[in-house]
Amino acid sequence: MGKQNIKNTVTQIDKNTKEQIYEELYQQVPFNVAVIDRNFNVVDANNNFTEYFGQWENKKCYDVYKKLKKPCADCPTGEVFKNGEPVVADSVGIDQHGRKTHYVAHVFPIHNKDNDKIDYVMEMTRTITETNRWQQEYQILFDRVPCYVTVIGEDYRIVRANEAFRSNFEDALGKHCYKVYKRRNSRCPNCPAAKTFKDGKVHRSNQIGIGKGNKEIHYQVSTSALMRGSGNVAHVIEISNDITELKRLENRVIEAQRLSAVGQTVAGLAHSIKNILMGLEGGKFIVSLGLTKNNNAMINQGWEMLERNFDKTTTLVKDFLSFSKGRLPELRLISPTDLIKEIVDLYKDIAAQSNINLCFEIDSNIKQAPLDPAGIHTCLTNLVSNAIDACLMAERKGTQVVIKAYEQGDKLIFEVIDDGSGIDYELKQKIFTTFFTTKGGGGTGLGLLTTRKIVQEHGGKILVDSKEGSGARFRMEFPRKRLFSLYREREV
Amino acid sequence: MSQKKILIIDDEPDVAVYLETILSTNNYRAYASYDIKSAMEQVENIRPDLICLDIMMPQETGFSFYKRLRQKKEYDSIPVIIISGAIDNGEFEFRKYVSDESIIPPEFYLEKPVVVDDYLEKIKSLLN
Repeated sequence: MGKQNIKNTVTQIDKNTKEQIYEELYQQVPFNVAVIDRNFNVVDANNNFTEYFGQWENKKCYDVYKKLKKPCADCPTGEVFKNGEPVVADSVGIDQHGRKTHYVAHVFPIHNKDNDKIDYVMEMTRTITETNRWQQEYQILFDRVPCYVTVIGEDYRIVRANEAFRSNFEDALGKHCYKVYKRRNSRCPNCPAAKTFKDGKVHRSNQIGIGKGNKEIHYQVSTSALMRGSGNVAHVIEISNDITELKRLENRVIEAQRLSAVGQTVAGLAHSIKNILMGLEGGKFIVSLGLTKNNNAMINQGWEMLERNFDKTTTLVKDFLSFSKGRLPELRLISPTDLIKEIVDLYKDIAAQSNINLCFEIDSNIKQAPLDPAGIHTCLTNLVSNAIDACLMAERKGTQVVIKAYEQGDKLIFEVIDDGSGIDYELKQKIFTTFFTTKGGGGTGLGLLTTRKIVQEHGGKILVDSKEGSGARFRMEFPRKRLFSLYREREV
Repeated sequence: MSQKKILIIDDEPDVAVYLETILSTNNYRAYASYDIKSAMEQVENIRPDLICLDIMMPQETGFSFYKRLRQKKEYDSIPVIIISGAIDNGEFEFRKYVSDESIIPPEFYLEKPVVVDDYLEKIKSLLN
């Protein structure tokens, strides 16, 4: 019934109505439409065209579209007149307000009644200025953004690279990312792009690449998925911040701090050496006096002084060499439990001889951690040795040293707790300074300093909590994130 | 003539013993303290005629002792020789560490290791 009605309605349109419909279509179609003759005169145009390009009567098409005085070099209109085939072309013109405009022109031939000659062409143009502007802006953004941007395919070949990347790395397009970024012949271990291809998520990591002129480039890379319809990751975009300069400045600050520390250290070292020299002079003086007076007791006393100060020289040199080693920690995945048991084995006899109870408390859920076994061993022996000394200084019986290890949030914690003589406020300010010792001639003052240095090299920190007369607690905190980041950096 | 009493304050026992032996073989009566706390007690007990003082000591520095000594009227005239490894060629910036102008600087500074004759000469000049 409905179809019948529609059919009836269509057949009822007369010629005039049809012309009206075409006229309406001609005017309302969302294109700028113009009719052009063989002499490039614009002979008709719709309202959109007039609104966009302005007055066209008695004007040539090249004047209206491009404000030119002669036909365009690559004129699509002329081509349609010549070949009789429709043409689609993109072009740049000038609108009636003098603004540059990008448009796509569809040009069709209009044949005469006998269909043997083309009298006119119809040119329908659609402006793409806005789209083009966005494209250009995105291109500029892509190229000029102050970081390296590359798009890589599933085969790890670079399909796009921005200007910053192109100017700092070797030719990239079509080559494997690992070859271009790092001059490798196979994929990098812990490749963040591989992870993104696998799970579609954003991954970040710190990397070191090789740029033009074999320049080392440090960068922080973030990989994101470029999804296609099916949901599979077809491409990954890698955005990297160049942190080479930051690393350089960081190293300069470290170097300045190191030089300042060297000054302090040399002054402290000179002080320690002078004290040892004085002890040696003293030993020599007393031995000599004993020989003159034929006094064996004096000779022995002087000789012991000499021996003690020679030993101190050896200890000082060893401690100093250990402190001065500017090495990076040799991180390995180790068990904190095993390490603590080693220390307890090492000190249990010494502690027992002094009636000190040395024990440990280790959390049952403690996990392996990337640590420098030798470094942490040094830290723990320094702290345990200090704790035993503090217990001896307390001059009480039944003192105790406890070594603890446990997890606290993201941190791995080691603690050495004693109930010995404790440390007062003034002392706490000084214990981590160069060559500070409370042990008189018995210490070089480098133990805690070395401990702090090793802890800091692991990205951790050392804290002390104590009151004079009520023991001390030394706490080493190692953020696991930092440990694993150092571990990965070392692997790279 | 009674022997002059000299108190040696140094946390390094070997240094203290050395300085003590030099003095005792030169007819002085020497005493030693290895920390500031016992040194103050010694000052009260023996009333020394002269004090040889080290600076860099663990619990309290020599300056802390020196300030306390000079602030007590009964002890402010005891001559003091500072004997330290921190002294460079006999020079020492005392005011860098003790800015209080009311506290007068010590009589002499001696660099470790001391030269025995120099040490004895300074002591003699202060006690005469």
